[in-house]
Amino acid sequence: MSNANWILFLSTLSTGLILGSIFSLVAAGVTIVYGSIWMPNAANGQFFLLAALFGWTLTVSWGIHPAIAAILVIGVSVPLSYLLEVLLIKRFYDVPNRNISYFVLSLGITQILAGVFSLTYGQWSDQFQLPPLITGITFIGPFPIANNRLAVLALAIAILAGLFLLLRFHRYGRALRAVFQNRDAAALRGVNVKASYSMSFALGNAVIFAGGILFALAYSFDLTVAWTMAITAFAIMIIGGPGSVLGAVVIGMVFGFTQAIVSVVASPTIAAFSYLGAMLVILLFKPSGLFAK
Amino acid sequence: MTNVLLEARGVSKRFGGVVALKGIDLVQHQGETLGMIGPNGSGKTTFVNLISGHLKGNSGSIRFDGRSIEGRNPYQIAQAGLTRTYQAVRVFGELTVRENVGTALVDAPSALGQDGVRELADWLRIGHRFDARAGGLTLLEQRQVELLMRLVQRPKLIMLDEPVGGLSSVEVRVMIAILAELKSRCTIFVIEHTMKVIRELADKVVVLLAGEKLAEGPPADILADQRVIDRYLGNIDA
Amino acid sequence: MTDSSSTTSLSSDWKKIAGPLGAFTILAFAIPALLSGNRYLAFVAGITLIHIVWTSGMNLLYGYTGLMPLMFAGIAGISAYFAVDLTASGWSFWVALPVGALAASIAGTILGLPSLRLKGFYFTLCSLVIQTVITLGFVYFANLTNGDTGISQIPLPAAPGSGTISAPAFDLILAAAAVIGVVVLIAITRSALGKRLIAIREDDELAEMLGINVTRYKMTAFFIGSLFAGVGGALYAPYIGFISPRSFDVLISMNIWLMVAFGGRGTIWGPVAGAVILVPLSFLLQEYYTVKDVIYGLLIIAVIVLMPGGIASGLKRTTRATEPVAAGAAEQRGAK
Repeated sequence: MSNANWILFLSTLSTGLILGSIFSLVAAGVTIVYGSIWMPNAANGQFFLLAALFGWTLTVSWGIHPAIAAILVIGVSVPLSYLLEVLLIKRFYDVPNRNISYFVLSLGITQILAGVFSLTYGQWSDQFQLPPLITGITFIGPFPIANNRLAVLALAIAILAGLFLLLRFHRYGRALRAVFQNRDAAALRGVNVKASYSMSFALGNAVIFAGGILFALAYSFDLTVAWTMAITAFAIMIIGGPGSVLGAVVIGMVFGFTQAIVSVVASPTIAAFSYLGAMLVILLFKPSGLFAK
Repeated sequence: MTNVLLEARGVSKRFGGVVALKGIDLVQHQGETLGMIGPNGSGKTTFVNLISGHLKGNSGSIRFDGRSIEGRNPYQIAQAGLTRTYQAVRVFGELTVRENVGTALVDAPSALGQDGVRELADWLRIGHRFDARAGGLTLLEQRQVELLMRLVQRPKLIMLDEPVGGLSSVEVRVMIAILAELKSRCTIFVIEHTMKVIRELADKVVVLLAGEKLAEGPPADILADQRVIDRYLGNIDA
Repeated sequence: MTDSSSTTSLSSDWKKIAGPLGAFTILAFAIPALLSGNRYLAFVAGITLIHIVWTSGMNLLYGYTGLMPLMFAGIAGISAYFAVDLTASGWSFWVALPVGALAASIAGTILGLPSLRLKGFYFTLCSLVIQTVITLGFVYFANLTNGDTGISQIPLPAAPGSGTISAPAFDLILAAAAVIGVVVLIAITRSALGKRLIAIREDDELAEMLGINVTRYKMTAFFIGSLFAGVGGALYAPYIGFISPRSFDVLISMNIWLMVAFGGRGTIWGPVAGAVILVPLSFLLQEYYTVKDVIYGLLIIAVIVLMPGGIASGLKRTTRATEPVAAGAAEQRGAK
């Protein structure tokens, strides 16, 4: 391979890894919330954007260091989740077939946040860019990569790994997984199902916020990223299997690489068409997804 | 006896690797009340689902009223005159009884006229509840509405899945009285756990066990059959 | 069928609705005529009338059949682009309109096929995906749609003699379309078809057990509902004079759904009231266009949380309080 091809290959690889790990984070957050409280959160893209915009305000407007800003953004998701749960989400915990109510509810939240963002941030700027976490460039062979993106990638993978460890080994995580698999059986085995709902709603949103702030640290963005992310996360969740974190991560990585490759060789519309097409096929023929238990 | 109404030959059904029904043969004549008994999970409801078209069988043939019906859709089977009820009572809960009955009349080829509906409703002792919301009725009343919705269609065969399930002992007697009179109007196929129903109504009993037919015969013989007692009746309150 | 009770109640039913229908007809024609001095207000009335056509179609699908099709605006868009392109290529608008609407109907019927397999949330999600694909398609096939830029300066239809018809005259055509839409909806809900659709909404498996061909009638509902979408879309394009993919995106589908749910799904006049209240609202706030999105979003939440039956439920039989709006309308046992 020539040098130019190597650079193209490595840049596609790094973009694929970064996008894939961010997609995985957001989709994991969405699937955790759906798997436990049965809420298909169409507002996930707006939450993602909210985190990114918070990050922008903290760093650009208030001059806080990006690393501290990232921690603050992820931290603030917890009280926000709690507030949302108490105000709206809780009311439906005992309603049968609540997933459609939640879905419509989250479309309403989407519309509100979209309106608020375009009335505020939309007036202030078209493009948003955060200062880097760290500066400098590392060479991998002939290929230069910004240290900042490497840091983002490392953080994204670390958070995913932490999520896996939490779900597999911690007792909260095990309780969550028990609820994913069978609510009634989990309740019989003494798991406090309602408490696990609060826990997973907060955890899921925190992971989505983490995805948003990491994305903002790696790339500049505009307000349209919200809807794209929402649809992408849903596609990943449906294809991976609703409630399957492993499915979300595997398919999220596949989508990240697809996006990276497609943006080199074809138009982004083709990429979107292919995601949506894949999602339709799975919905129609294997609605439990590829990684269903 | 009179002519054959329902005839199943070698009906089998698998769910994934689990065999739910294994080669069931069964014949029901017109006017003959057939009772089906067996423990939970023995395949009784699966059998009714196969006959009514809700499930597609893996093999075997089903003939109803002289025609093959396997592979047909539930609405086609219903229009051919074979109807059923569900184990859990099922009416259009948000609609009134009148609207429920109206729905039953829409696509039934030989449905009753208004007088016939009125007569049936009075006979089922539900005529006074026509303007009530069906979901607000008592369980017995909902069971009666269920029957009314089926009977206004003038079916040739009605398959009842546990018609006295969940009813109090007084209500059970009311329902048995209704079903006893129903025998003169329509051929009945009934799944029941309550042996009283089987003893008082059935002309013939089929016993299912783990998806296979264990025994078949008149109720008195079946209820005395040592194999049936050992493997099924011994465990339940007869 | 000899159900004479339903035929007698049918005529009394029509008598009962004749009053409101008469009043609605008079208002639909009179208001644009009275407002014709102020073109802007007349325009708001005209847009409201188009939305009444749309909410009638959405009501048939969502309110009466229990399906929540978020690709509704996309279907309207298919008809709008068809009608505009055909008119631009020399067809008479009055031929292009039914052709466009029919194309939308056929597309809507095909896109409704997933509803045979998917229920509740899964169908709604599927319809959202379909809507997104349609929007992407409008952007992508730029030779037909002029892409993101949209098509502007769409003329009003030609008048019988020469030139184009006047905007006030077109208002009256919109009024006729809205009245016809409501009359058709009333006729359907009073017919055997209406009984079948309501049965499918309440419990499609039980409906099938009672002899109703659920597949056929779901498709019928999609065909008719999409026809409403299409007629509205074809009228919308020349009336506004401009269409773009944004004119028919998921937000518009949600807005139309909200008008139905807010007004009262499964009632004749609730969704009409929903359109009459919510469409002018978006013009009041025109200066701060996106404030409309926030208010609509809050209303969506209010409908889901507080008033599952919409504003009409206060006048009619109240729905059970514990039942959220969408749960009652759509049959949810997930995917088969």
